[in-house]
Amino acid sequence: MPAKVDIEYLDKARAIARDVVMSYGAGKPFMKECDVRVEVGVGKGAMAENGSVKRAGEDYGFAIGVHALAGDGALASGYVGKQLGTADVGRFDSELKQAIDAAHARAMASARSKQRVRSRFSALGGSLESLDWAPVRVDQKTIPAQFKIDPGSVSLEKVQGATLDSCKLIAGLDKSVVYSVVGASTSLIRELFVSSEGIDIDFTYAQTEAIALIVASGPNGNLEFYDSLGHQRGWEVIESGVNSGPIRELSLLDFARKLGKDTVETCAAPLMKTTDGPVTVVVDPHFAALIAHEIIGHPSELDRALKYETAYAGRSWFLKQPGDDMRGKQIASPLLTAFSDPTIEGFGHFLYDHEGTPARRVFHIRNGVYEEFVNNRQTAALFGVEPNGSCRATDASFVPLIRMTNTTIAPGKDDPAAIVKEVDDGYYISGHRIPSIAESRENFRISAMKVYQIKNGQLGQLYRDGGIISDTRDFFMSIDAMGSDWQLFPVPNCGKGQPMQAKRMSNGGPTFRARAVVTGASR
Amino acid sequence: MRSLKELSAAAAAGLKRVLANPDVAEAEVFVSQNGTLLTRLNYTSHIPSNGVEEPKSTANLGIGIRVVFKGDRRLSGFGSESSDISADAVDEALRKARQGAVADPDFISLPDPAASRPTLSSYHDERLMNVAAGDLVDAGWKTVEGALDVFESSEELLGLAGGDRSRLPGLGLILGGDVTMLQERMAIASSRMPKPQSDESTLVMSFITAMVEAQSAKGGGCVVGTNLETDFSLAGRQAARGAIASVGGKRVKTGQYDVVLGPQAVTDIFHNLIVPGLSLELVYAGATPFAGKFGQKVAVPGFNVYDDGAAPGLAASKRITCEGLPTGRTDLIKGGVLVGLLANDYEHQRILRDPNARQKLGVDPREHIAALAPRNGFRFGRGGGRHFDSPPGVSATNLVIESDSGESSADLIRKVRNGLYIGRIWYTYPVNGFSTGDFTCTVIGDSFVIRDGKLAEPIRPNTVRINHNTHKVLNNVLGVTESRQGTVLWAADQIVYAPEVAVRGVSVSEIAGYMDATS
Repeated sequence: MPAKVDIEYLDKARAIARDVVMSYGAGKPFMKECDVRVEVGVGKGAMAENGSVKRAGEDYGFAIGVHALAGDGALASGYVGKQLGTADVGRFDSELKQAIDAAHARAMASARSKQRVRSRFSALGGSLESLDWAPVRVDQKTIPAQFKIDPGSVSLEKVQGATLDSCKLIAGLDKSVVYSVVGASTSLIRELFVSSEGIDIDFTYAQTEAIALIVASGPNGNLEFYDSLGHQRGWEVIESGVNSGPIRELSLLDFARKLGKDTVETCAAPLMKTTDGPVTVVVDPHFAALIAHEIIGHPSELDRALKYETAYAGRSWFLKQPGDDMRGKQIASPLLTAFSDPTIEGFGHFLYDHEGTPARRVFHIRNGVYEEFVNNRQTAALFGVEPNGSCRATDASFVPLIRMTNTTIAPGKDDPAAIVKEVDDGYYISGHRIPSIAESRENFRISAMKVYQIKNGQLGQLYRDGGIISDTRDFFMSIDAMGSDWQLFPVPNCGKGQPMQAKRMSNGGPTFRARAVVTGASR
Repeated sequence: MRSLKELSAAAAAGLKRVLANPDVAEAEVFVSQNGTLLTRLNYTSHIPSNGVEEPKSTANLGIGIRVVFKGDRRLSGFGSESSDISADAVDEALRKARQGAVADPDFISLPDPAASRPTLSSYHDERLMNVAAGDLVDAGWKTVEGALDVFESSEELLGLAGGDRSRLPGLGLILGGDVTMLQERMAIASSRMPKPQSDESTLVMSFITAMVEAQSAKGGGCVVGTNLETDFSLAGRQAARGAIASVGGKRVKTGQYDVVLGPQAVTDIFHNLIVPGLSLELVYAGATPFAGKFGQKVAVPGFNVYDDGAAPGLAASKRITCEGLPTGRTDLIKGGVLVGLLANDYEHQRILRDPNARQKLGVDPREHIAALAPRNGFRFGRGGGRHFDSPPGVSATNLVIESDSGESSADLIRKVRNGLYIGRIWYTYPVNGFSTGDFTCTVIGDSFVIRDGKLAEPIRPNTVRINHNTHKVLNNVLGVTESRQGTVLWAADQIVYAPEVAVRGVSVSEIAGYMDATS
């Protein structure tokens, strides 16, 4: 077997990739831009179900992705992605060259067809244009990982033990628990980006996460709760949790205990009944995180706004067409500010995106006024703005997409306890569950783990199967209190793209108050 | 791509090598190579666009090994190695399997040979295994051209543009979606089935959405097939025609309506809400709306649902599963009664020994072994392919929905008389968890008011939300069309052969009135 693929292997791969891109890729006929991404991840994980370890393993991943922007007369892109292995170490340069050849051939073929189709359709061909990439600063950077406990130093037995202990804890909480599963993993991942422009970024990060799913049985049927914890740190995330700025995560054991107790308690609660109309609702930071994700973050992705996602993830009500969008318009209460910031710590942290663009904070909404979309280099050029470093792929073999990063509602100044206390009659919406969002994100229904009645400033009856539904703008405009208790939560599975890419990011917000219809069970 | 012969030889040699280890009691070697060729489309008449946005591919090759080790604890493990199927890769995968081996009390054994034999042969198009860069790009452009042909020749659109062809782009014509070609080759050998078995499958599909955005009109189209002759432009044409037909959409009021669900809407409901609940995995976990209902009525009489991975001519057919077992038909709902569940070998064996199985299913599984047969153990993922780097899960293949007494579409619409035709829904999720059956979604296109037994004005997309329950849907079916359409969804593994289904009393709410003022 050839030399083992590990994180350090990319020291060699980086030099090879640089050379191949500059000397081979850049020299292909009519090549405007060529970039290569290389990724190696080394990690271990385990899963326990109903009190037994069911799966465990330690492995590596090794992938490449190549993009070519080329054409004679018109420009077009072509892509190639491939999963590699240890056997490819000795032929890495030829693998890259083959991938560049294929990506270049696709780009050239598509560019030729674009010109032909543009000519064939006299009325509708005119919008088929050469879409170039906006220029970015050419940087060379190496960014090391941050962790206290190196994922590589943790034994597989320890990972198994953590999932088993947590799973057993949940199973033993109450006889109503009928099913439980806990999975955990810890990894070190290193990503390279090199381009024919001379960009050369080497980013290594730790990634440690866990997920729990619990099913309990109660008088109103079974109830499933799941949630996750995670951070770009080492095994300390599982053992001790995280307490850093807006990131306050429990250890895996405490996380499992809390989720288990919540499931048991809520499963015994009566069913929520849908209110006749909008009522006062106070949402907690965990629920606010999904609002930030679904109805602020997603419609702020410029590819959606420019209709690229019409067949998949949908469009955005923040932009009808270029020249007719919500930038500069009041779309929410002045209390609402929201941003994406990959430069702060979180599951969506990075300093350069997968197109080599330096990352920065992007304010989507500031004091209720819509401000900026997250973009990539193509859409930035098309939209006439600067690239803001928001384009990422799930692994190097996939095409990078415009993605949320650490996307959050910004904290306000209100005391979260006072936000509840001021409510005479309303509902406290705690913990997000499942979203269903309208196509341009103009309306949403999101279910909650727990819904409490608020009477005279006090939390009262707990209900299950509740949530809220609202038109987005009405909901934004109705916000009348914004808490100071900002939290960021990991989101491990945001789906976008075709084929579907599940991406990690963080979302968050504080406690806040607004008006919405509180939904209940439909059975 | 490597030939089937090479993959089979690697599986046989790998098995021999693993079994030569004295601590190995059982082993299974799975070798696969997959290619996903995908051309993503984005055409916008009012915004500069590429037309074909992403012609791309992902590829992988490798070996995955499941091993049972000798000893009192009967440890079992899984390991894999990418990009290599040599003896070195076998050794490395075995090392990983040994390192991660666990004592799973629910694991009984690797799959035993089935009593039946695989039935499919030569069911794919070998030419699809060697698609050139130009072919992939051409398939995408053909789809774009199909839609642009319809748009540019449309008298309706020309009318909306005031008879001025140069103003057509201002209508905001959009085309999005993809053309996908899947290339799958696999071979498997195990200590219980030592003779290598192999399979080769191809699938082509196109999933397209078109819009006349200035009119908030949207239409969808899809094509599925198994050969290179598949006319991808049909999906583009269908979507464009659907968008044009949706021009002039109106809002409908909040209320309960009798509806006809079109094939895409039926597919969405089954894919997101019902099929997961018909998997033995979710039944075991208690996270299904069908808990304890085996053998009981779960839908109206005459309503049938089955999965058939061995159906000749259907797009998602395979010769064998990723466990080396023959594919076949599993009746899930027959005559409105829950009669079967999707399973792989692990889930099949587990439920037979689960002391709580009677409570979970409602019957003793040992009396219904054939209905729980492991015909659906696949290693699907990443948008297509049979992947060596994961053990088998449970996946549907060709899901067929039908009725004992199919009707014509026109008869179904007449039967509803006054209601809604819901052609396309979106974000259809079990909002209160799978087990409750509660769901919500929004109506995004291809939908019409039904008045006096005929399709009347289109429903304006994104103005209606459905809040309902799957039990209510299945138990209030008014009728089902005889004809079915092969339908694909974003990120779905299975193909649903979906009819139109009429349902009584569906709860819908009017939404997003403010958008009328902003668009």
